[in-house]
Amino acid sequence: MQKFIRKNGIVVSIYLLGACTIWIALMIVLPQVFMLDFSFRFNLPPAKIGGPEDVYTLSNYSHLLFGRANNPESFNWLDTSVFGKTITAAIFVTIFDVVICYPIAFYLAQVAKGGYARFMVLSLIVPFWVNEILRAFAFRIIFSSSGLINTVGMGMGIWDEPFDFIKLDIALYAGLGYAFILLMIFPIYNAVESLDKNQLEAARDLGSPWWRIHWRVVIPFAKPGIASGCTMVFMLSAGALAAPQILGGPSSLWFTQIIYQWFNTGGNWPRGSSYAIVLLVTCTIFVMLMMRLFKVRLGEIAR
Amino acid sequence: MSADVQLEHVWIKFGSFVAVQDADLTIKGGEFFSFLGPSGCGKTTLLRTISGFQEPSEGKVFIGGRDMAGIGPNLRPTALIFQNLALFPLMAVWENITFSMEVRGVNKAGRRKRAEELLELIALSDQGEKKVSELSGGQRQRVAIARALCVEPEVLLLDEPLSALDLKLRQHMRAELRAIQKRVGITFIYITHDQGEALTMSDRVAVMSAGVVEQMADSETIYDRPESAFVASFVGENNALAGKISTIEGDQALVDTPFGPIRARLSESSRGALQPNGEAFLFVRPESLSFVNGDAGSFDNKIQAHIAEEQFEGNVRHLVLKGAGDKPLTMSVINAGRGLEYHVGSEVTLGFNSDLVVALPPGPLAAE
Amino acid sequence: MTTERLTRVFVFLFIVLFFAYLFGPLLIMGVSAFNSSTFPRATPWECFTTEWFVKLGKDERLLEGLWHSIAIGFSVVCVSVPIGMAGAILLTQVNRKIRPVFYTIIISPILVPGVVLGISTLIFWDRLGTMFDASYNSIFYSGTFLTVIGQSTFISAYCMLVFIARLQRFDPALEEAALDLGATNFQTFYKILLPFMMPAVFSAAVLAFLASFENYNTTIFTIVSESTLTTVLASKVRYGIDPSISALAVIIVALTLLGAIVFEVMKRREARVAEARKREGMAPVSRADRASKIADPAHILMALVVIAGVGFVYLLAFFDSAACKTHVLEEKRILQERQVIPETQYQGIFGRGAIEGLEPGAEPAPGGTGEGAPAGEGEPGGYKGIFDPNVLKDQSGTGEEGSEAPQPLPDEEGSNFNKGIFDPNVLKQQSGTGED
Repeated sequence: MQKFIRKNGIVVSIYLLGACTIWIALMIVLPQVFMLDFSFRFNLPPAKIGGPEDVYTLSNYSHLLFGRANNPESFNWLDTSVFGKTITAAIFVTIFDVVICYPIAFYLAQVAKGGYARFMVLSLIVPFWVNEILRAFAFRIIFSSSGLINTVGMGMGIWDEPFDFIKLDIALYAGLGYAFILLMIFPIYNAVESLDKNQLEAARDLGSPWWRIHWRVVIPFAKPGIASGCTMVFMLSAGALAAPQILGGPSSLWFTQIIYQWFNTGGNWPRGSSYAIVLLVTCTIFVMLMMRLFKVRLGEIAR
Repeated sequence: MSADVQLEHVWIKFGSFVAVQDADLTIKGGEFFSFLGPSGCGKTTLLRTISGFQEPSEGKVFIGGRDMAGIGPNLRPTALIFQNLALFPLMAVWENITFSMEVRGVNKAGRRKRAEELLELIALSDQGEKKVSELSGGQRQRVAIARALCVEPEVLLLDEPLSALDLKLRQHMRAELRAIQKRVGITFIYITHDQGEALTMSDRVAVMSAGVVEQMADSETIYDRPESAFVASFVGENNALAGKISTIEGDQALVDTPFGPIRARLSESSRGALQPNGEAFLFVRPESLSFVNGDAGSFDNKIQAHIAEEQFEGNVRHLVLKGAGDKPLTMSVINAGRGLEYHVGSEVTLGFNSDLVVALPPGPLAAE
Repeated sequence: MTTERLTRVFVFLFIVLFFAYLFGPLLIMGVSAFNSSTFPRATPWECFTTEWFVKLGKDERLLEGLWHSIAIGFSVVCVSVPIGMAGAILLTQVNRKIRPVFYTIIISPILVPGVVLGISTLIFWDRLGTMFDASYNSIFYSGTFLTVIGQSTFISAYCMLVFIARLQRFDPALEEAALDLGATNFQTFYKILLPFMMPAVFSAAVLAFLASFENYNTTIFTIVSESTLTTVLASKVRYGIDPSISALAVIIVALTLLGAIVFEVMKRREARVAEARKREGMAPVSRADRASKIADPAHILMALVVIAGVGFVYLLAFFDSAACKTHVLEEKRILQERQVIPETQYQGIFGRGAIEGLEPGAEPAPGGTGEGAPAGEGEPGGYKGIFDPNVLKDQSGTGEEGSEAPQPLPDEEGSNFNKGIFDPNVLKQQSGTGED
């Protein structure tokens, strides 16, 4: 410690240590700790906080599973199914994005030439400077009953009545898939770009079909990029709020929307915190799973 | 104003690794002193300790008689010229030079004036406004020196400053550095792995190997009278012969070698260390070998060999000779323009006197 | 040979489709900004109009949110940039064993879902507030403060990454040289390190501002009773859609494009200057150089954008779409009179098209209800009887999507029953401001 102060001088030392302490303690760690603690408490009005009723409880978590009655008999199908659906949907969106982004990233990194490649990169970035809400809104317009897709579809005679894409969640999935394309493309692109073109040439010379080249040469090399992209897309999909709010049909409720309700109209902050903790834990598990599966370290995932 | 630097039993350790082992010496004020040794021998660490970036694990450093313990590099009367020069890329040349005045709060006019003086000293008067990146290697070298001199240090420390320059420039800079030092009169402590540099520029040289100061003396002594096998093999070219001591008479020894018995001089350090029947290394310089024509010439030692190779290097000819021993000998013959009487394949007799061959205790040799 | 051509075609198609997916929605939205129909759509096209842009300018809530977003953005920059720099510098100085742990902790906010960050920030300061018995006006409950803190938690990490990249190119010998020349530690930091970091400071600041400006997930929790542009937008989109939102999108896209082009031009100019300096003293700029300057695609694009912008402003000032609208209204009425009410849909006593369009000169018929669309357009399975609250309300978006059909869950935002007959907005101009 003394060495540190001597190296940096007293002013700079105070700045460095102070700023980082504030950041880590006050902004990163403590809020999470408080939220965790809060999730184990009852939902008391301010007057009763600190009083005799303010004890720890698991009731918020059990509510997720067992519902209001706290009765192990009645399963809280609603909340739990929403949770399950959110996670499943996030996984699907992730897979969807990998499938469509990997070819593009590969093309960009290895096939496209110079100026053309730069143009493509630029044109990939531009849509994402538009706010996510506006992007979801754009999808809303397209998929609406008088939107482009329905007009075209009906005009071409494919269907007679306007298809309610929104109710079937297609709009939501399309919107979510769209939202995070950039986050999937760039890690993969970065990873593939550093691949030596000669390796591909060599594989082709040795008579390997294109799909095997990808499977054996490119994909293992791009693993960190794919892992990074999948992690980001999954977490952002599972934690998405704007898109489900705007594009979600009546039957699709997103887990984050339930959390939001507990804070907004439901007025039960502790319960909302417990659901948020569940979401957080799920995401953490996913990240660790990704790291284990693809054998990458945390530092490689964060852009 | 120049100061002397005294290292009093300085040890520098990093964990269990000993970088410098019991360095105990005094560098006189106003002298050009060099630390010479291969990479990793600890000379850079020692330099950084003197300049204040490294505290010794044991021992003390005195500059001008003052104990430097706990005094940081910005408060020591030293200035360091880094190996990569470390010139500030975002500042102009004149700003680089007068940076030390800027941090002391001297006003711009005063700084400019001093900058002009120093630029003249290093012969770069019209380059003051340029950015450092626009100068050549040699020019940047000089800017670094000017920047260091602006501090008016009592001791100037130079960390292999010429290693990045090409040969001709290096030779030119050697002379310049020596001239500057004589003009300014302050203590120069110079570290290098190039013994040509060390020998030509320095008043005294300390040869280091693996953290130990093997020998400290002026150039001639280091060259002619090495005190250890490492110094003998590192400084200049030297032929090494391993042998067993038969007898010791005063300051001479008779050593049994594959070439036969050889009479050699004992060095200062050998006098106590070498005993009869003990192992010894003999060293004889390539230029000390002479051809023996017939029986002519009274050399103390004569050995037989045949010429295996000949390398013409302009002013000298190097001959590689193979004889009874397993290692070849090298011999240097000045090219007086007359050509060589013997050629590759000839059997020759080489002769040399006992004062030109030294017997030393066995020890690690400098790596090839 | 043909398989290769086939793959080429396939690849080409894939790319085309991909970019259609990428840009299609934006194009549609852009087009809808100029379409005079109250529900944003590209087709069918009614009239060209710039009224939505005008309306945008008059929307007070939006402007208030915009102002807040900018203020918060600047504050976030002021907080995250120093913190990020401190993190980056500290990271380089910590013990090698602690470093990975330290790094993981600092990076974690990026990987944590935004909603969790928002919630934890909200709760933490709320609890602190109760601990200190603070009043509701204090900083503990200030939406601005909470949002700045919440966003800075992860934006500082972004800044830190920028600084780390820059720091890696820093030669530590420069600091040592400064010290050796007599500088104090502070002077070394201030005169050597900081100037070196300046370019990174600039990028980090821009990054921080943009990230803060467009953030929603965290902000929606921390903003409490205030608003930012994104929260206003979100509520507008959910409760009352009209093309002024598309207009906003067009403006944003135009601004970003402009920004990108300017940035690109500046970069090229820098590169050109650097090259020119290298060739200092050589022959004057050749004809090829001059030609390339004019033909430079970036310059062309910029010129195009400027022309488009000027033309647009011109249209804004002079174009009047009233005539076109009345014409469209007329057409609709004619169509309605001819339209046969389909038996499959019980259109209600008053019929769908009956209520709107009664006031001449009013906004054109909301939604696609009276557009003469073939039978069956509208809510699938929708019983649009007289008692359906949606008949009377603004039908510019939420109504016809059917997403507001009676919910089994009491947890949809702003329960539907508020949107009934007693909704004051029904009597208001039907231009898309919801009840919020």
